[in-house]
Amino acid sequence: MKLLQNEYLHLAVRLLLGGLFLYAGLPKIMDTMGFASSIYNYKLFSSFVIGLTAAFIPWVEVLAGLALVLGVKVRSAALIISLLFVVFISLAAISAIRGLDIDCGCFSGVERKANWMAMLEDIALLGCSFFIFYFDRGRISPMALINKISSPSKTEDVS
Amino acid sequence: MTEEQPWQAWLNTANPILKSPRNQTRTVFSWAIIIKDCLWIVGIAILLGGVLNYTLLLDGINGKLIAEIQQKQLTDLRQKAEQLYPGISFINLISAKKLYDDKLALFLDARTTPEYQSAHIYGAMSLPIRMLVQGDIQLDKVLPDKEALLITYCDGGECDTGLELAKELSERGYNNILVLGEGYPGWEAAGYPIEKAGIKQ
Repeated sequence: MKLLQNEYLHLAVRLLLGGLFLYAGLPKIMDTMGFASSIYNYKLFSSFVIGLTAAFIPWVEVLAGLALVLGVKVRSAALIISLLFVVFISLAAISAIRGLDIDCGCFSGVERKANWMAMLEDIALLGCSFFIFYFDRGRISPMALINKISSPSKTEDVS
Repeated sequence: MTEEQPWQAWLNTANPILKSPRNQTRTVFSWAIIIKDCLWIVGIAILLGGVLNYTLLLDGINGKLIAEIQQKQLTDLRQKAEQLYPGISFINLISAKKLYDDKLALFLDARTTPEYQSAHIYGAMSLPIRMLVQGDIQLDKVLPDKEALLITYCDGGECDTGLELAKELSERGYNNILVLGEGYPGWEAAGYPIEKAGIKQ
């Protein structure tokens, strides 16, 4: 169990997940119509829902990813990312059951089908997100460093 | 507390390790704070996304978005075809219907067998691209005439199997192939003859 408390492991998982979400979200912000088109391919959503999702979800992904990378509001960001993964997993499962042969729209320019494999990968990443939520307190992060520099007296550990 | 900036105080909530020792009220696990911060993140995302994509949102509300997406996918498919398979041409719905009415062209459904069975253009022949590539279909028997006018289709702009079927056939020596970019959904939406679950409509 000591490994779970390892701060460097926290940092690594957080950077991985945060980086992944930045990588996923930024191209979608650049090409909203492309993302809308990916959502449409799931054949589940109305025009209204597609519009809302395409407009907001990329920004949620980017902000949550950025928060994880910077070590700011780590638990809230991890919670949002967990919720997103629950949605992604459901969508991958539904598409796999319906036998749709579509791109998942996770990353633009990267071919990744919405199928059982994608679902399993997402479940593993959901695990990472839970791990951060429960164990990571952002102890090693750019934000902690800024705090340390701006007020050295506060670096004493209170826990 | 005086030396702590307000923004630092906000950022440090729910980050108990970073609390000052003098500020002994150590933040404990609090769903209220976590959810409040979630709402902040989502709120900023909605603000940024809403301002930058308001036209997209309006189209979504007006119900125009799906038509726009279909148009975009068709354009993308045509561009892809021009780049990858320069010899293959597209045909639009109206011209295709004309050929269909005059019985001048044979329609080929490139989708999977279950998709074909659930609904297809009336009179179209099922020719799933996967089965063709795997060699499960004897092309010489099903399509003996290499000069016949063939029109391939799949599920519209979002799929490229219709295009790939056209390419595959042209490589195997068929000379008159066109792709119906709008695919089955476009044909159905136009109210042209279809066969759904074995019944002509």
